[in-house]
Amino acid sequence: MTTRILVVDDDSALAEMVGIVLRSEGFEPSFCADGSAALAAFHTANPDLILLDLMLPGMDGIEVCEQIRSESGVPIIMLTAKTDATDVVAGLEAGADDYIVKPFNPKELIARIRTRLRPTQITSAQILNIGDIVVDISGHEVTRGGARISLTPLEFDLLAALASKPAQVFTREMLLEQVWGYQYKADTRLVNVHVQRLRSKVEHDADNPTIVTTVRGVGYRAGSVV
Amino acid sequence: MNAFWARLAHVNWPGLPARATRQWRRSLQFRTVIISMAMSGVAIILVGVYMSFSISNDLFASRLDQVLGESQRAQIAAQRIFDSSDATDRASVQSVMNAARTAIRDATSSGLIAVYRAPGQDGSLTAPQNFTSPELTNGVITPDLRTEVENGGGAQFWQSASIPTNGVLSPGLAVGTLMDIPGNGVYELYIGYDLAQAEETLQFIQQVLWISGLGLLLLVGAIAWVVARLVVSPIRFAAETSERLAAGDLAVRIPERGEDVVATLARSFNHMADNMQGQLTELAELSVMQQRFVSDVSHELRTPLTTIRLAGDMLYDQRDDFDQTTRRTTELLHTQVQRFEKLLGDLLEISRYDAGSVDVETEPTNVAQLAQDIVGSMTTLAEKYGSELSLRAPGGHFNADVDPRRVRRIVTNLIGNAIEHGEGKPIEIEVDSNATAVAIAVRDYGVGMTQEQTAQAFSRFWRADPSRQRTLGGTGLGLAISLEDTRVHQGTLDVWASPGRGARFRLTLPRSQKVPIASSPLSLEPVPVVPHSDGGAA
Repeated sequence: MTTRILVVDDDSALAEMVGIVLRSEGFEPSFCADGSAALAAFHTANPDLILLDLMLPGMDGIEVCEQIRSESGVPIIMLTAKTDATDVVAGLEAGADDYIVKPFNPKELIARIRTRLRPTQITSAQILNIGDIVVDISGHEVTRGGARISLTPLEFDLLAALASKPAQVFTREMLLEQVWGYQYKADTRLVNVHVQRLRSKVEHDADNPTIVTTVRGVGYRAGSVV
Repeated sequence: MNAFWARLAHVNWPGLPARATRQWRRSLQFRTVIISMAMSGVAIILVGVYMSFSISNDLFASRLDQVLGESQRAQIAAQRIFDSSDATDRASVQSVMNAARTAIRDATSSGLIAVYRAPGQDGSLTAPQNFTSPELTNGVITPDLRTEVENGGGAQFWQSASIPTNGVLSPGLAVGTLMDIPGNGVYELYIGYDLAQAEETLQFIQQVLWISGLGLLLLVGAIAWVVARLVVSPIRFAAETSERLAAGDLAVRIPERGEDVVATLARSFNHMADNMQGQLTELAELSVMQQRFVSDVSHELRTPLTTIRLAGDMLYDQRDDFDQTTRRTTELLHTQVQRFEKLLGDLLEISRYDAGSVDVETEPTNVAQLAQDIVGSMTTLAEKYGSELSLRAPGGHFNADVDPRRVRRIVTNLIGNAIEHGEGKPIEIEVDSNATAVAIAVRDYGVGMTQEQTAQAFSRFWRADPSRQRTLGGTGLGLAISLEDTRVHQGTLDVWASPGRGARFRLTLPRSQKVPIASSPLSLEPVPVVPHSDGGAA
């Protein structure tokens, strides 16, 4: 079964070119040029991943992102011409998993897509416990006291990475490499924003975290500091 | 009143001259008051002295006239008594004399009388004796006056004298004349007059003069103060307003009242401020528009550039299937799109700095480690150009409060430049630190730069040698961005260069954003490096 990718971009030339690149890599692209039509296109195409331009006619890319995220955890990669901090952070906070700054090259695009689509790395343990949270790796499920907690695949990966080695403190760079697949130094705000999103779902009190705790000046770890 | 004296007691008297000098320099009003009072004071003193002098002359002259008249009448009255007497014996002559003395006393306001028998006459048994009022003894009547009277043939003579009144010497007059006592020879008559009353009058007048002079002076001071205040206050207000305007408060204006010179000043000042504000606002708007334009252009270019990039890379990946010409074309397309992309990125970065929308995101960073990292990543490139990179780091092995991405960009750019201009000679990178700063210097031994070129080195799109090809594909914005990157850290980036000897760029960053740099740990000019001086470097 081929992997379906929805490309939401108002620039038809760029969309077509991205389509060519995707097809040459064996993906099956579908297109949408209008922000207000993006949600409908998402429903029809039922994609495995979305490439979303931030500057769209009809509806802002950030709004589109929020709408899709409210119904689905499908991986979303933002395409942005703006490197201004505020836009990127706004996109990430709206639920985008990753972002690519224009202009990008085909390899970069494909690498980002593949990272988001690859299956979660198999760890030795299949059931992991952090605090009162149970992470079922094979079932791809997170529960607290039997109740399911809905996480996006990225958030699940992030939690699973931290839970797999509870004794270890992960730096932001380590998480970027392990969860986002960045081999070189990348934007650590990706980690900060997504840890915040993850906490808002798994913590009892997001301001006073016990599941994903911050180690000042180093990074994050699973569970409270002993 | 007590409070006033208490305040006076607390005035810092030794400091007063200094404060007055300062006030003199700084207060136009104070100066006006002092000058007015000084000039009026001189005028008042001159007028006062003149008045006092003429009044005293006049007083004396009238008193003298009166005295001489009285004296004459007294002499005539006394002479008449002598002339009408027929006394022959000593006792009766003496009584005549007494009668004459009474007449004299009656005729004058003064009781001070001295009668001497003129010298050089034959002795007479009946001649009355000399007598003198006690006040006129002690040399009040001088020998000079007596000589004048004796030889004057009956004329009046006078002299000033000090006459004791109530035990105190006071100014007076002594008037002398001759009397003829029939049968008993010529006698000298002296009458003393006391001028105390005239003196008192004079003193009173002088006192009134000085008091009114002083009052006038204070009045002049007060008038000057009020007038100066009327004139100075608007000027002071104008000065304060222009100071605020100069400090950047463009909205300040001076209220325009009336049609006098101050109002004219206010009007023209306000006009100037309006113009300035208008032009500055226009300039600021233009600048913002231009920055937004550059930023928009860069953004708008990004989407088509992405398409070109994707298309170019697709072709580039298949270049082995193409014939020679198409392959070369594809390669050129690929490299030039990359260069275009870099240029666009740099342009956007610069426009972001120009718009002032750059925040420095500091985190604890080991600068020596970072330098090591960058050197490691650039070694391959350097080797391609035949240069050997060497790192010497006696300091910098601690966490400084810097933005690692920006520092990496600066140092990468400096090393890249060194590789490009280093002509394959070794490149030395130094890292050191002191209490307030950490510094990185990059030295190459290439073509170097002249002084004029050095001054231009950080200018945008400037090239040391336009004919030289840019092998590393620099955009011409690298050093300009590095300089901006340094500035947001409150650091310094400077350069030493010499033609043929190479160049040395020095980046100095504060260890903490809160503590300013006291001095750079590295010298700008290259110093001969002593081998194996690790840790011992000052």
